[in-house]
Formats: sequence, structure tokens, C-alpha cells
Amino acid sequence: MSSPTTERTLKLREIGPARRGTRPDEVVIALSPAFAGIFSKTIVEVPHAEVLRQLLAGIEEQGVTARVIQVHDTADLAAISHLGARLSGSGISVGVLSRGTTMIHQRDLARLSNLELFPQSPLLDAPVFRQIGSNAARYAKGESPEPVPTRNDQMARPRWQAKAALLHLKEFETIEAGRGPEEVELDFELSSAG
Amino acid sequence: MTASTSRAPLTTADYPLSVNRPDLLRTPTGKALSELTMDAVVSGALTAADVRIAPETLLLQAEIADAARRPQLAANFRRAAEMTAIPDAEVLSMYNALRPRASSAEQLDALAGRLEGEYGATACAALVREAAEVYGRRDLLARPEQD
Amino acid sequence: MTTAQPAGQSRKRTSLRTDILEERPVNLDGFVEEWPEKGLVAMESAFDPEPGVRVEDGVIVELDGKPRADFDFMDTFIAAHAIDIATTEASMAVPSDEIARMIIDPRTSRDEVLAVIRGLTPAKILDVVRLMNVVEIMQGMQKMRARRTPANQAHSTSARDNPIQVAVDAAEGAVRGFAELETTLGVVRYAPLVAIALQVGGQVGRGGVLTQCALEEATELELGMRGITAYAETISIYGTESVFVDGDDTPWSKTFLASAYASRGIKMRFTSGTGSEVQMGNAEGKSMLYLEIRCILMARGAGVQGLQNGSISCIGVPGAVPGGIRAVAAENLVASLCDLEVASGNDQSFSHSSMRRVARLMPQLLPGTDFVCSGYSAVPNADNMFAGSNFDTDDYDDWNTIQRDLQVDGGLRHVREDDILAVRRRAAEALQALFRHLDLPTITDAEVEAATYANSSNDYPLRDVLADLKGAQSVMERGLTGVDLVKGLEATGFHDVAENLLTVLRQRVSGDLLQTSAILTPDFVPLSAINDANDYAGPGTGYRLQGERWEELKKLRHVTSASNPETEVS
Repeated sequence: MSSPTTERTLKLREIGPARRGTRPDEVVIALSPAFAGIFSKTIVEVPHAEVLRQLLAGIEEQGVTARVIQVHDTADLAAISHLGARLSGSGISVGVLSRGTTMIHQRDLARLSNLELFPQSPLLDAPVFRQIGSNAARYAKGESPEPVPTRNDQMARPRWQAKAALLHLKEFETIEAGRGPEEVELDFELSSAG
Repeated sequence: MTASTSRAPLTTADYPLSVNRPDLLRTPTGKALSELTMDAVVSGALTAADVRIAPETLLLQAEIADAARRPQLAANFRRAAEMTAIPDAEVLSMYNALRPRASSAEQLDALAGRLEGEYGATACAALVREAAEVYGRRDLLARPEQD
Repeated sequence: MTTAQPAGQSRKRTSLRTDILEERPVNLDGFVEEWPEKGLVAMESAFDPEPGVRVEDGVIVELDGKPRADFDFMDTFIAAHAIDIATTEASMAVPSDEIARMIIDPRTSRDEVLAVIRGLTPAKILDVVRLMNVVEIMQGMQKMRARRTPANQAHSTSARDNPIQVAVDAAEGAVRGFAELETTLGVVRYAPLVAIALQVGGQVGRGGVLTQCALEEATELELGMRGITAYAETISIYGTESVFVDGDDTPWSKTFLASAYASRGIKMRFTSGTGSEVQMGNAEGKSMLYLEIRCILMARGAGVQGLQNGSISCIGVPGAVPGGIRAVAAENLVASLCDLEVASGNDQSFSHSSMRRVARLMPQLLPGTDFVCSGYSAVPNADNMFAGSNFDTDDYDDWNTIQRDLQVDGGLRHVREDDILAVRRRAAEALQALFRHLDLPTITDAEVEAATYANSSNDYPLRDVLADLKGAQSVMERGLTGVDLVKGLEATGFHDVAENLLTVLRQRVSGDLLQTSAILTPDFVPLSAINDANDYAGPGTGYRLQGERWEELKKLRHVTSASNPETEVS
């Protein structure tokens, strides 16, 4: 995968504890503990800056606003996503792990259920993230969009599963039990790669 | 309602009951296996309530499991016999109540009480009480809502 | 991989052979170094506990070196429900190598082995199987599996969640020999339509096939309660407390759920597998097999009849470390040693290499297990919504050939083209009629025709997804049940399919399918570890592939006739 000569990087700036939103036209994006921290890209090297840029663009295109939070006390995607959904004014959230695994959740669903699940992190590229953002926003507006189509690569497991396990172990080490979710602002920076 | 209490305990030779001992089998609605025919389906005489298992049958299968030296499986069937009396929606909500941090100690205690008092489900109640004790020690009871 | 080169020099010459080897499929697989501190190790770890047990007043007060005060909920549950208190001290005192010998010795009966194992702790069981190489593990499995007759299970799913595809591939899978069929969804809300399709298709191929729909726990139970599915399997358990809790369950909630299924007459088994804990980030420093043995004992304590294991969806993890596939064989054996039915993996894509895929299968296929695969893909892997199986439709002829080569029964058989086309068409027509009768989204004649000859979801016309989703929702809202499906099939003229489905539903009343390793024969007779007990006691005993069944498995797609070598056996 070629990278541009200037790369967008991302820093998350905490602005306070994450609170329940009141506006019905918002989607909460809930990030895992190591996102844009010790990790800066997904398992297939999509930069985290790009992941967020695409999610936000997809949401905005639907005329919906986005609020970003970071969860610190778990690295479990369902828990992260469902927490975001419960804090979201529309009840809709997008949860993302550092390696890229993503889920659209809704606050009234069981934690281990979801609206849409994207379990194969190696298959998620920039255009898919944009569509995910767009669908989440459409759910927030009360619409029933067609689920985002994803490739089904049955060789993703043999190729990537052990690496994903290693990445997850590393993300797991960044968990801070008892630390509540934080609302964050996104600082995108342009830097030249060498 | 079921076979007389003076029958010999079941052995593994009685299995499968549907082939070897259909005389012992009844639906919860009191029908024999032989009554569960296509004609009965078409006429509406047979409904979903008829294709369920009766508590007595679960106890028979528990006897067979014991005869096959599978005591935990037999215990499962005995709990299941108690649960036949509980409506579907309530079984589901009871299961959800036993999940991590889903219930407080008081709620689990009330659940055990309801199982025993309302349904005579003493084995299920014992399971719930055991869970409550362990959850208390392992921080798996419901936390106060944070917001 | 480039080699380091001093600046200014031309590229070092590499071996032509290396170039070829680099391109081999096996080099696309993922391999990692062991990390025992984090549990990224198969079964040989210095961090696993030492075996030990102490009993006081009929209660286990110390388990594998851990005092009761330090028990997590897995220890507590295992100590209370899984280990036979009366025999534990005596059994734990038997040297591990002696127990291992009993397992492989044909002259020691299955019952004698079970009697010792039921008193053992997780670390002791690990200690025993660590002494066994993979051949010995296979020898043990041959004797210890619960049901004498091996069987097989398949997935039938669709990349587009197309219910017609699920139905016709279920029908073909059933006629090829699968005893159980499993489906799942890309989009969960499709579940009712797809579960119905699986149920109908499964009864067309041959009657008596049991079907399940893998979903979140409460939803899966609801479908089962309505009689739209016949059994449940993806009831997951985990080897550490933290990962179990992340999975939103406990041994007690799962035990309650298991009894809930039994209370509705529905067969079920738990699912576990090596690698899940380390994959979810917290193996608490224990080896994969140690944690899986904890799962197996928890399952035994809960009183479920069986277990799906063999790493399952985490196979890429043991598959990436040394000795991982040996550990996977060992976990199947341990489940059998604990007198559980075993649905033994081979259900998840594991390697780019055909050689590796088959090697992984051998420890289950050769001795036979209750279900050699817990999910052979009865659809092309691109349509497999479990993210790919170890085997798919492209492998049918190879599988049948290997059965014939080695004279082993892997549960499948070759079926002629015209027979397959006939069951596929019938399944599509039955579903079409049923959907019409139930006011569900239309299935057209063009779809039926496409389904008959199709290979993958690309060969079917696209369906109106949103209409199907609405239809699926209406199934739940209207409270449709298995009896409604029987009625609908009967009313639309599919009497045999209706009768088959009614017979499967009727079994709920008897509870015969709740016993260990229960399946239905094509004649709808319950066959389980009770009336088909494994009596293996050495050469010439136990299940043997012979007689009529062997004749059936001698058939392949192209076999030259002996009586007339210019023709093929038809």
C-alpha cells in the first residue's frame, strides 16, 4: 500500500469526561484505549487519521454531527460501542479498535448484538469507513439504510489472526481499569514522511 | 397424567423413549406421541404448545442419564423440568438477569425467591443463590448507574 | 524478503528454488513466535499450574495449587460441579503416564478411563495429554468418542443472506450426508428468513437433519423456542473469568441457559476452543490448552451433553505457534475423555495451503469423532459467513476420495449430479411455496431455476434486501413457529417435507435428542451415545467402515468399470 509523501497524523486531546448527549442528530464515535496512542494505524496500515477523517466525512455528508470519545477501561469492541451508543443523543454509535475492527451499535440493543459488524479488520479500507460513517448517520436520522457491503476474505484468518491477537494483547496492556470515557477533540497534523 | 409410580427405574435399554417407551411420553398438553399427526396439524388441533417437552419426560431422561453415569447431565434435565413451568419471555429475562453486572444481590435473591415460590423450581433457585454468592465475591453484581 | 546489501553493489543472487518456495501458499499463512508470559503458547508452558487437589469435608479447598480463597469463578464452578469429589484424591494419585497408557490401551475400556478422568483437575488432565504425541491422541480418540458412529456437520450460508441459496445448499449438504446444518447471517436481522430456509432445505435432502442458526444468545434461544431451529451450538464459554465476563456471561448464566434449552426439548452444546482467551487479550499467562481444559470441565459441570471445540474461530492462533495443531487434537480428546459429545472444529479457514488444511483434519477424520467437522462449508467459501471454513464445496470430491483411499467414514458420500439437481430444485420450490403461503417476499421461478444449477451467490438474481428484512421482522412479529412451517408445507403440497419437519419437531416431546451425541438417522431413529455406545476394544472392534456403507463410499465421480473398462461405473 503506497503512502503519500506527506502523512496526516492524529492526536486526541481530552476535553473532559464523556457525557450523555442530548441532540438527536449526533453519532458518537467511540475509540479504543490505544487508538491514536501507541498505535497510529490499523492492521493493514490505514492511518488512524484517515479512519477518522472518513468516518467524520460520512457522518457529515448526511447532515449529522459527530462527537468523539475514547474509552479506557476496556478493549472489547462490543463494550466500547455500546457505551458510546448509550452516551449518544441519537442512541447510535460507531466503535473502533486500533487494529480497525468496527461496529455500529444502538443503545437499546443487547451489548453483544449490533446494527452492523465489521469483524475482519484487514478488509476495512478508507472507502468502507466513509460508508460506515454514512450508515451510522442514517440510522441516527431514523432511516434503514442497506448494510455496508464488505468483502468476505476467508483467508484473512490464516493470514492475520495471530498478528491481530498480538495487536490486541498490546492494546489490552493500555487498559486503565476504572478510568471513565473521555470526550476528545481531534488534532490533525500534516507531517512529511521520510 | 403419567405412568404409574410403581414402574421400575429406567435403564439405558429403554432409550430411545420415542421408540421403546412411547407409552411413557406425553406432551405438556396431555397428548400422546401418536396424536401428533399431520391431520392434527392441518385441522389446527396441534399447535406449537403441543410440540414441547413435559417436565415428566425430562425427569425420565434424567433417569436415563443417571443410568448412563452422567450425573451433571441428569441435574441439567432436572433443572430443565422445573423450567418448563416458566413462560418463554420470563426464562429469557431470568437468563439475562444472571449475566455479569446485570443484577444486584437483592434482585438475584428475589429471582431465587420467585423461582421457588412461584414455580417450585428449587434446583434453579439453588443455582441462582450460588451465583449470587460468587458474583458478590467477584464484583459481578450490578454497579450503580454512572452518568 | 530482501537481503542486506552494501551500497553500490548489484543485487545478491538468490536461489531459484527459494523464489519458488516463497511463492508457495503456505508462506502466506501467519506464524508467530511463542510468548508464554501472555499465553501465546500451545500446551508446553512453564507458567501453567502444577496439578494438585485438597479435599476437606467433601469440598475442594485447593485446586492445582490455588487455595479456595483465591478461586476465580471458573475454579469455583469446576470445584463445585465438574470434579468427582469421591474419587478425586485417589485418581489424582495415579501417575499421569499410567493414565495416558490407559487411554491408548485397547484393553482398558472407555468406562474404566472415564472413571479415572472424572476425578482429575485441569492441570492434571493437561499433564496426562502432554505425554501423548498426536498418534497416541488419535488412538485415544478412537476409543473415547462418545457415539460409536462418526458423523459430520456443515454450514449453509450466503454472502447475500439469500434464503434460497441457504435452502438449496442445505438440501445438497443433507443428501451428501451431513447430520447437522448450521447457518448464520451477515446481517443479523435476516435471521428468521434464513433459519426457516435452513430448516426447510435440511428436510428435503434427507429427513432427520438437525439445524441451527448462530446468533447472540437470547435471540438464538428465541428462534429455538419457536421451533424454527432444532438445536443450538454457539453458546460460548471461555477459559478465564475476565474473558468470560467480556463475553457477557458466567458459568452460572450459561448453565441456566443450557437448562433453558433442555426445558424446551432443544438439543444444545457449548462452544469453546484454544486461543480465544489470548485472542481477546487476557490469557492470564496460561497456555491455550490449559485454559481450554478449564472450559471443558466447566461444560461438564454445567451438565451439557456436548461441546464444539478444536479452536474453532481462533484456529489462526494455535495454528500460528509450534505444536498448535497437536494441542487442537488434544482438546478434542479431552472433551471425549470428559464424556462429552465433540463437534471437532475443521470449520474455520486455517491455511492457504491445501496440504496444511488436510493435515489439520487428520487427527479427527482418521479416528472419527462425533462430528468430524463442526462446520464443513456446504457453500463456496466466498459465501461462508463464518469467515470461511477449512473445507468447502470445492473439496467434496477430494474428501470422498480420501475416505475411499484410507477406508475411513467421514460422514459424507458421493452423490450423482441428477440426484443433487433434483433435491436442489425441490428445496427451492418448497421454499417458494412456503414463502407465498406465509406472505413473505416472493421467490420467482427464475430464482428457483438459478438455484438448481448455482454454485455461489453470484449465480442467483439479486433479491430486494429491504423487503426481505421486513419479511424477517414480520416472522417474529407474527409469532411464526415450526408448526406454521409444517402447515404451510403441507398446504402447498410438499407432504414429504412437511412430514419430515413434523417428525423432527415431534422429537422435542420425547427428549431423546437431549442425550449425549444424539442425532437422527435417515429413518428418524434417535442415535446417541446411549444406544450407539462406542465399544472400541482394539482391532476388529468398534465402528468399522464395511458392508453396505463401505460400498457406498467406494463410489466417486469417475471410476473405471472393471467389467467394462471402456466405461465408468455409473
